[in-house]
Amino acid sequence: MAELQSAKLYGVPQLDGRYSQVLDMWPLESEESNRLFPFYDNMKQGRWTTTKCKKCGYIHYPPVVTCTNCWSEDLEWVDIPKKAKVVSFTETMAGAPLGFDSPLIVAWLGFDKSHPLKHLFVRIINCAAGQLKAGDEVQFVTFEVPSIPIDVKKDVKVCDRVYYAFEPVKK
Amino acid sequence: MAETKRACIVGGGMCKFGVRAATIFDMLQEATSALSKDIPGLKPQEIDGLIFASTTAGRNSNSLNTAPIVAHRLGLKPTSICVRVDTLCSGSNTAIILAKGLIESGIAEVIMVCGTEKLNMPQRWESVYMNLMTNDHDWDSAMGLAVPPPFFGMIADAHMKKYGTTKAQMGAVSVTNYDYGFTNPLGQFGGRKLTIEEYLDARTVCDPFGLNDCCPVTDGASAVIIASEERAKAMTDRKLVYLRGTGQTATHGMSAGWPGETLADWPHLKKAGEVAYKNAQLTPQDIDVAQTHDCFSISEIIEVEELGFCKKGEGGEFVASGQVRVDGKTPVNTDGGLLTVGHPYGATGARQALEICKQLQGRAINQVKDPKFALTHNLSGVCAQHTVVIYGTEPVK
Ligand SMILES: [Zn+2]
Repeated sequence: MAELQSAKLYGVPQLDGRYSQVLDMWPLESEESNRLFPFYDNMKQGRWTTTKCKKCGYIHYPPVVTCTNCWSEDLEWVDIPKKAKVVSFTETMAGAPLGFDSPLIVAWLGFDKSHPLKHLFVRIINCAAGQLKAGDEVQFVTFEVPSIPIDVKKDVKVCDRVYYAFEPVKK
Repeated sequence: MAETKRACIVGGGMCKFGVRAATIFDMLQEATSALSKDIPGLKPQEIDGLIFASTTAGRNSNSLNTAPIVAHRLGLKPTSICVRVDTLCSGSNTAIILAKGLIESGIAEVIMVCGTEKLNMPQRWESVYMNLMTNDHDWDSAMGLAVPPPFFGMIADAHMKKYGTTKAQMGAVSVTNYDYGFTNPLGQFGGRKLTIEEYLDARTVCDPFGLNDCCPVTDGASAVIIASEERAKAMTDRKLVYLRGTGQTATHGMSAGWPGETLADWPHLKKAGEVAYKNAQLTPQDIDVAQTHDCFSISEIIEVEELGFCKKGEGGEFVASGQVRVDGKTPVNTDGGLLTVGHPYGATGARQALEICKQLQGRAINQVKDPKFALTHNLSGVCAQHTVVIYGTEPVK
């Protein structure tokens, strides 16, 4: 197989190290690709933010370019509280999608009444299998994900990326 | 104004579902061959419309803008419509809603609705990985949501906590559908029996699901003919089966948009059912046989509740007491359902419609006694969308 690989008679040789979005499991986050880039920029500062409509006051999640309540484009970025409680969760011990470690723990979160969100589906990290319980408090946490190259005129710009999950709050 | 026309389902066909050594076009041709045997009076030239359902064609089969290719490969020359629909698990049921509207409005006379999916890829990782693209990619898939067992596991957990549903009741769904599927030679698990002991001993997929709580990864294709009443009469001597009413709702299933108070409550399905019952001028008690989307055992339990076949919270008992068996109150998934026939997303709706057509024409393998009204339901994505179609041996007056 190594011979085949070195002879380029294997896989998709014409890609030759290039990026293909088709297999990318993470968002295109930079301002060249996505008008929600402030969400990711804020996340690099450890902030969890979303958009709020200046016209009707509605807070969206995920963030948007146009208000889903009144279709106004006059929006602002606001910080939202970073703690929640686990309502329900499952641990996938084997067979998680490529790129995710097993056990893959996902949870259905509930937020308290003052939070603009009611529920959210998230991944739980920094947590060993068998440790999490319904009712546990968890918090927003960020981590680096692979950078990608973007062609900008004659140059290639490398875009660093982050994403988020939740982790147990240490007792 | 011209009188509104009526739309009927005439018949159809499907290929063998399973892990297939075949492309989507191979399987569609097999389904079309089966369809031609089911409706010997139909000539390919009579078909003026094609509505083709597939979500993964552009991904797993490298084929975007697939409908014209399908038309070519099936020898069709559409003149009224030729289009692909992509609503994942409800693809061909969505196509049936569209076909109904086009026929009732007089835009089309005879439409082939077909669907297919090639889900088993040359390497197994890709069959799972591809599903990252069937959810909200930047928000839910990036959390690891690909294939749906983890999310439906949480749904099952919520239903068990809130309504006291038991593992044995979920097992009753699987055992019943294996009993039905045993007699279906085209199902992935046709000819296989499942005992409750085997169900309870099966390996865990993700808590609380064992292997038999989950539908398998399936390749397949199916096709049905939807025609105006006049053309249906000319094509076949069988009992006419009318499309009476439809409903379809959607929500952003996961992130912040879940419509229920808990995961055990599916108000968006209830709403889709209410709209369909109203259009069909029927109530849940009128339904004599149904095909509901048993992607997981817990799904069928919640569906019989939200569709009104039993009270909310009593779905587990309804199934376990045999009410979904052929002599029960509302027989459900009489061809074996997704759990045993398999679930090639875009092909499932037409497969369900074909079983309902056969039931209402009195020619199903697990025939219910003299049914007059029947229902099909699909859930698509991770409970993001619900689609309901109601059929009858007489039209809405
Ligand atoms: Zn607004």
